[in-house]
Amino acid sequence: MATTDPASEITAASVRPGGELLVLLAAMTPEQLERALANLTTSFPAEGVLVASPSALPADSHPPLRIVAAPAANASWTLTAADFASAHQLADKNKAAAILMLGPESGGLAPSAIRALANAVLTAPTDLAVPCYELPPHAGLVNSAILYPLTRALFASRVRFPLAVDLGLSLRMAERLSGAAHRLTMLNQGEAPLWPINEATVAGFTIDQLDVGLLRAQPQPAGPDLSTILPLVAGSLFSDIDAKAAFWQRFRVLPPARNLLSIPEAASTDAAPDIAPMLQTFRLAYSNLYEIWSLVLPPTSLLGLKRLSTTGAADFLMPEPLWARIVFDFLLAHRLRIINRGHLLGALIPLYLAWVASHINITASGIDPESHIEAVAAAFEAEKTYIVSRWRWPDRFNP
Amino acid sequence: MQNMLAVLLQSSPNQSSQPLYADNTSIWAHMSGALHQSLYRVLSLLISILPGILAFLLALAVFTLFGMGVSALLRRGLALIRFDEHLSRTRGNIDWAPSTSPTALIARVSFWGFVLLGLIIGVSAFDASYATATMLPSSLLPYLTRIVGAALLLIAGTLVARFLARSVLIGAVNEQLQYARFLSLGIKWLVLVLTAAMVLDHLQMGGNVVALAFGILFGGIVLTLALAVGLGSRDLVSRSLESRGEHSGERSATPPTAGPGDSIRHF
Repeated sequence: MATTDPASEITAASVRPGGELLVLLAAMTPEQLERALANLTTSFPAEGVLVASPSALPADSHPPLRIVAAPAANASWTLTAADFASAHQLADKNKAAAILMLGPESGGLAPSAIRALANAVLTAPTDLAVPCYELPPHAGLVNSAILYPLTRALFASRVRFPLAVDLGLSLRMAERLSGAAHRLTMLNQGEAPLWPINEATVAGFTIDQLDVGLLRAQPQPAGPDLSTILPLVAGSLFSDIDAKAAFWQRFRVLPPARNLLSIPEAASTDAAPDIAPMLQTFRLAYSNLYEIWSLVLPPTSLLGLKRLSTTGAADFLMPEPLWARIVFDFLLAHRLRIINRGHLLGALIPLYLAWVASHINITASGIDPESHIEAVAAAFEAEKTYIVSRWRWPDRFNP
Repeated sequence: MQNMLAVLLQSSPNQSSQPLYADNTSIWAHMSGALHQSLYRVLSLLISILPGILAFLLALAVFTLFGMGVSALLRRGLALIRFDEHLSRTRGNIDWAPSTSPTALIARVSFWGFVLLGLIIGVSAFDASYATATMLPSSLLPYLTRIVGAALLLIAGTLVARFLARSVLIGAVNEQLQYARFLSLGIKWLVLVLTAAMVLDHLQMGGNVVALAFGILFGGIVLTLALAVGLGSRDLVSRSLESRGEHSGERSATPPTAGPGDSIRHF
């Protein structure tokens, strides 16, 4: 995986012959759309860029941009299978050279970052250009706790945001994702998230990660209900991992580490969030969900949770290997359908909140959040042999 | 009455000379005859339904064996044409557990289909022989089918109770409700009581007593839950209503923080 420095200046790309860049905008509010279009005008002042948006736009509203209509899409905080299917369809129809998919908050990205994403896929050989956001502290925690470490450990990819909403795609990558999206649509799961990193890694495509700077506002789910969104995202990733088991069980070398992101300035000024409600949920869950957890977790993990349940808020630290094993055990239980999958992922939520509380405690003690997240990801890598063994011989390792 | 007594007193000296065991022998003979007749009737009944029972067992055994054969053939045939791989290629990411691959599923369905067919044919054969066995109590066979139906109801009810209890428990814990276990137990017993009442009703046992007892129990559990939840979460509800009133305008404008903790963004 290649990694580039933050795009410092806008340079014209050597566009692939025979087509132009197709920019597919997500469904967004009029204000967001206006900002995104202004950003695109600044990013591509000279070249003809094709912009597709599900919102109705006058064709000559932003002169350098050629506006086309995209299929109507539901406003979503993440890219869904339907988005990838329509992206490929539009690119095919308009003979585009590459695709740039931009999410609802793309107006907050620097023009140079948008340009860099486009350049990465317009100039061979990158197939998937992924942004690396610099988020405020304590943001994107599901990604840091589950999505990034799992993707890194199993697919040997250092992409920090596997579920990024701003992507650059080559045509063959778009075709591949469209195929995956088509299969999901056939199963009536058109609104489910798709995992481009996993698809690109399995296909052997080139992935490029680009630092795009600080992003204050990332698209958020419409509802504040963690108990709905976390099972949806984790369940989707678990299913994708299950489908690609033959690939990730083989040993793969992780690309060299990239430079850690700097701590956002806000980190030093923001007070640490109150972890008491999270600990309360975890302790309540320990006394009520122990029976369900014991169906999924081995005795050593249960012992670790027992110790945590009696630890005070100030000393509350979840060891990284324990968290890695918990996630791997839930992944395996998801595969084996030990209990109903909705129940399983619901029972993961208090454990995730315990991890969040631990993460906040660690960062409050002065440790760089990014360092802790890297340590968690390293623990997942170290425990990969555990999940491979249990995946292959679940009964032998049955707790 | 006096005449009758006089006649009895006069005749008794004559009768006292006869041996007492003569009548006893007659009673034993009657009992023996009755027992023999009963035994004869039961044996005749068994003999008359024996072909039906044998036909039932034979049909079940033959179809089970046939099902095993067809299942094995299907398993081999589908493995030969790589049915699972073909299906995963064409249908994509299907969530099959390892023990329930499409091939295994088809083989199992075919096996149990044949077993079910054998059962149906066997029962109909038994039914035909039962029709001729007029001495069998008329309510026995229909009652057996009711028992099967009641057993299925009981299994389904228990499964539903367990599923709902877990759903409520997990949901309540994630909502930080302190009485999560109590709520879950309440839901579980509600469904179990409902199931028990349905089973007894299906078996036509208890009559009105079951309906009455069910009504009292069900109402009691609901009332207990309502009181417990209402009293237990009084403060929570009032706080929630107050905060909704205060922040109803703000919520639509600001992005949600998505969970416990004010400055935390899970996504």
